[in-house]
Amino acid sequence: MTSPPDPILLEIFKSLLTAVAEEMGGALGRTGYSPNIKERRDYSCAVFDARADMVAQAAHIPVHLGAMPLSVQASLQRFGRLQPGDIVALNDPYFGGSHLPDITLVSPVYLDERLIGYVASRAHHADVGGMSPGSMPLAREIFQEGLIIPPVKLQRAGQVDEGVLDLIVRNSRTPDERRGDLAAQIAAQEVGARRLRALAERYGAELLATYMGHLQNYSERMVRDLIARMPSGDFTFHDVMDDDGFGNEDLGIQVTVRVEDDLLVVDFSDTALQTVGGVNAVVSVTLSAVSYVIRCLLADDMVPTNAGIFRPVRLIAPEGTLVNARFPAAVAAGNVETSQRITDAVLGAFAQALPDLVPAASQGTMNNITIGGADPRTGERFAYYETIAGGMGASAQDDGLSGVHVHMTNTLNTPAEAMAYAYPLRVTRYELRDDSGGAGLHRGGDGVYREVELLADATVTLLTERRRHAPYGLAGGEPGARGENWLIPGDGGEPQRLPGKTTIHARAGDRIGIATPGGGGWGKK
Amino acid sequence: MTILGVDIGGTFTDLVSIADGAIRIYKLLSTKADPSIAFLDGMEALAVSPDAVVAHGTTVATNAVLEHQGARTGLITTQGFRDALFIGRQTRPQLYRLSFPPRWTPVAREDAHQVPERVEPDGSVLIPLDEDAVARALDALKTNGVEAVAVSLLFSFANPAHEERIREMAAERGLFVSLSSRILPEYREFERTSTTVINAYVSPIMARYLANLEQGLHERGNRTLWIMQSSGGIISARTARQEAVRTVLSGPAAGVTGAFHVSRLAGYDHIITFDMGGTSTDVSLADGAIRRTTEGGIEGWPVRVPMIDIHTVGAGGGSIAWADAGGALRVGPQSAGSEPGPACYGRGGQHFTVTDANLLLGRVSAANFLGGRMRLDEDAAWAAAERLGQKLGLEPLPLAEGVIRVANARMEQAIRVISIERGFDPRAFTLVPFGGAGPMHALEMAAAMHIPRVLLPRYPGVLSALGLTLADLVKDYSRTVMWAMNDALAEELAQGFQPLLAQARADLQAEGFAEETIRLEQALDLRYKGQSFELTVPIDDYDPQAAVQGFYNAHRRRYGYAREGEPVELVNLRVTARGLRPQPPMPRHPPAPSPDPAPARVGQTRLRFQGQTHDAAIYTRAALQPGHRLTGPALIVQEDATTVVPPGWTGIVDAWLNLIFEREPALSG
Repeated sequence: MTSPPDPILLEIFKSLLTAVAEEMGGALGRTGYSPNIKERRDYSCAVFDARADMVAQAAHIPVHLGAMPLSVQASLQRFGRLQPGDIVALNDPYFGGSHLPDITLVSPVYLDERLIGYVASRAHHADVGGMSPGSMPLAREIFQEGLIIPPVKLQRAGQVDEGVLDLIVRNSRTPDERRGDLAAQIAAQEVGARRLRALAERYGAELLATYMGHLQNYSERMVRDLIARMPSGDFTFHDVMDDDGFGNEDLGIQVTVRVEDDLLVVDFSDTALQTVGGVNAVVSVTLSAVSYVIRCLLADDMVPTNAGIFRPVRLIAPEGTLVNARFPAAVAAGNVETSQRITDAVLGAFAQALPDLVPAASQGTMNNITIGGADPRTGERFAYYETIAGGMGASAQDDGLSGVHVHMTNTLNTPAEAMAYAYPLRVTRYELRDDSGGAGLHRGGDGVYREVELLADATVTLLTERRRHAPYGLAGGEPGARGENWLIPGDGGEPQRLPGKTTIHARAGDRIGIATPGGGGWGKK
Repeated sequence: MTILGVDIGGTFTDLVSIADGAIRIYKLLSTKADPSIAFLDGMEALAVSPDAVVAHGTTVATNAVLEHQGARTGLITTQGFRDALFIGRQTRPQLYRLSFPPRWTPVAREDAHQVPERVEPDGSVLIPLDEDAVARALDALKTNGVEAVAVSLLFSFANPAHEERIREMAAERGLFVSLSSRILPEYREFERTSTTVINAYVSPIMARYLANLEQGLHERGNRTLWIMQSSGGIISARTARQEAVRTVLSGPAAGVTGAFHVSRLAGYDHIITFDMGGTSTDVSLADGAIRRTTEGGIEGWPVRVPMIDIHTVGAGGGSIAWADAGGALRVGPQSAGSEPGPACYGRGGQHFTVTDANLLLGRVSAANFLGGRMRLDEDAAWAAAERLGQKLGLEPLPLAEGVIRVANARMEQAIRVISIERGFDPRAFTLVPFGGAGPMHALEMAAAMHIPRVLLPRYPGVLSALGLTLADLVKDYSRTVMWAMNDALAEELAQGFQPLLAQARADLQAEGFAEETIRLEQALDLRYKGQSFELTVPIDDYDPQAAVQGFYNAHRRRYGYAREGEPVELVNLRVTARGLRPQPPMPRHPPAPSPDPAPARVGQTRLRFQGQTHDAAIYTRAALQPGHRLTGPALIVQEDATTVVPPGWTGIVDAWLNLIFEREPALSG
């Protein structure tokens, strides 16, 4: 039994440990090569204690929330104790990862002989091989999605294993970019380790360890405070995914939330079974979505995201369903699309319990687009990946914002001028989609329309949702408009409507137009 | 010759004049409705001579944005990109929040127009400008009562012809026009558009203010008016009317400039400035020169013109301490402001603030606060501490110490960001505090960060006005080129810089600077090919190899590693033009007969540090003379600041009346 925390040190360690994760992220974002990392900040960094429990995570991207702890656990499961100077790399969704483009690095941090904790960084790499450029394919099994990296030592005793590095890099269509991104990620690990060590030197390893524990208890208390405000009863919500890209449609995600013995139970028992296409989510993705919702309902930006948040939560996600896929299901879109629907469903359930806190559905998709081919200017291969903003759901307080990323992501767009320098692509339109937000007392936010002209023949893959089922309104508000995908042929032919999930071979001069969904309205007008 | 600096803040207007080696100071209340009234009244009070050169720091443009009171502004963009401004970078402002109030935009969407045209990255024209569409858009804006127009077309920095044509057409209609190719000829359309829009939004307001002010100055005979920019350099009032965006982040700039000049004169040019105010704290760093950045913004809108690299945290004297549901002691971001203010102001404030904590610990002299013009209510501070302390199980004094520690931890984090995270070791720097509350916290902060020395300027409360008298004229020029760096590039570099240098020289000559007072600095924004963030590397000549090596070194310092031999990309050319102003001699003072500061000793008090209460002498700053040496624990009072000297620190007064504090060797490290 430890003594109660000093409220002063609690606050000081909270800001210091969060700062470690944020500084790692700052270094990674500024030196990364992938547009996903440098322009879009599709990465996360976190600090763990010596028992591998997460202590703090920088607020970079929510879809990584639940997944980071499993990465450290997987590394330890594979290697036992990690030695000073080791760095473990992994991306295996079934062993610590989320989907293959997200490569995670894990480092132990020692002060002299004493293990004081771990730092981890996860970044979305633009291409890790697989059947289509950008590694976000329409696949039937994970083997088609790219290189699977189980926990391996990328660095031993401070020396990078060039063989492992070569193996990873050789499997990518853009090897120089991979090398640069991994260098940036290794440097970020160093930054994190150095800062954590400095804290142990300044405050003492013992005090640091004590307050790492206190901070988890602190976040746990915050969640318990929320649970105490929940009314009793079962709150159930059912939402659906459009399809899996292989003709399997209307895949249901059903969730019930209830308070049971002071625990918040989140039960996905009646969710659809896993399917052929890559909309399957591994359980870490589901954990991320649930912790995101809890984190939002706490309504306090300064609560550290750590292991304490999950202690009073019981997740029921039967194996073999959409929310806890079994190997070797394809999972690329589970991370980016299903995670959004899981969020919609969990929020829909909470809306019944805490109606003033929960908005109508937001766009519910990331509108993933990947374009790959050869750049005629250089002859080199390119892989462009981007996600596109849409409408945010309206709430009891406000209209929804227009043209923003929602829930599980908050990545930046690639500027039209940056696209022209980096890829044989020309952005021709980028505008708000008027009246796509659902009507209501408060209006849902509008989606956007983004149109890209190809300046070279290329393979285009779309992984998008809410093309068939609209984002729901609440309290009498109308749903948001569904999204639409278009191919506008360069030869003057009729525009063609494309399905929500598809891979096409398009020609130079063709344009791809993506109209993203609006947010749901809130309240009767 | 007289040089006058006038800094207008929210509460006070500060004037500093330097003439014949004498510094004179005057402080009066600002006149918010027309700030020029206090300005001119202050000049009368100081009897400033008609030939005085006047340098002015103003927040007119800043306030226009913060209060959403700028000119009604229209926008013209390339067809298809009308909404690029409103979508921005497509992110929501906070990650873990489900509902947001509407976002303020400096342009109403109905005033945003798009016209058919398209320029390619290499400057060639893909779609010619549709002038009929331009005319229709401008006419619609004019009809709507728009006063200023921002024009931001794709790749206009590669070929500004279309933007220039729109400028002509808008000028014909009597509209104020701001072109992105003139304000920020750099790639990334959203940031460039935002900067241009903010310029259009604030410039007419600035023009009206300056017209008013200049009329008053001319009536007194004063002809020369300089305006402080966010970069720490001044520009002429004429330029400020056209490019007022260059002033929107200038609030802290003059203070940093003043701190740097004072410190450099005293022999320290590696400094960290620490400006603690009522609601926030600004820190910046100079390593022989003040460091600048182009990554600023205001009200959520990027403003990418050069500014001093200042990091701000929401912790200041008025920051409110509170207990959260998880049992942590939080400080800020809510501030008690000046109304009702901290509990000790006795104006009904119920919250315990950083200032209240300082009072309980003896670090504010209740009798000397603001020169004795304001009485502090210690009982109210105690009562507030007891209320908060009950929630956390802390007695008032430990609570007060805790509040200071939490606030200091946040401010330390700010110092960490601008030093360690940028690759600088704070142990090689001198901390220079100013602002009302800075000197109260500075020495403890320095100890925590292992900063070995603290320089307390003689007039920490009017450092901004002083900085205005000392700042050089600075104009910045840039252009995106996006070239691969290789040995063959020397010729292109020379050619690429030529128009920027010619423009810079012509502009400075037009401002009245003779050739021998003009300094032109050239720099390259470089990155590894494929990265997105650039590092600015100064160059002396056009040797690409040397520049690339400079980039590797800068990358290693900033990020801890460099990939030598990997290809490097040149994004922007930069020229910084300085017009050197004559530096007024700063008065030196004769040494005191003895190092004993007894003549300045005005009383005795008790100070609390780390749970221990100490007897401490109180000194009055006005009586401290060069050579005086004092040791902590001590309190130094002056009208505009109180300095807390913890045990273990020794301060010596230098010839310019700065106090230089160092830690006793036994305690340092």
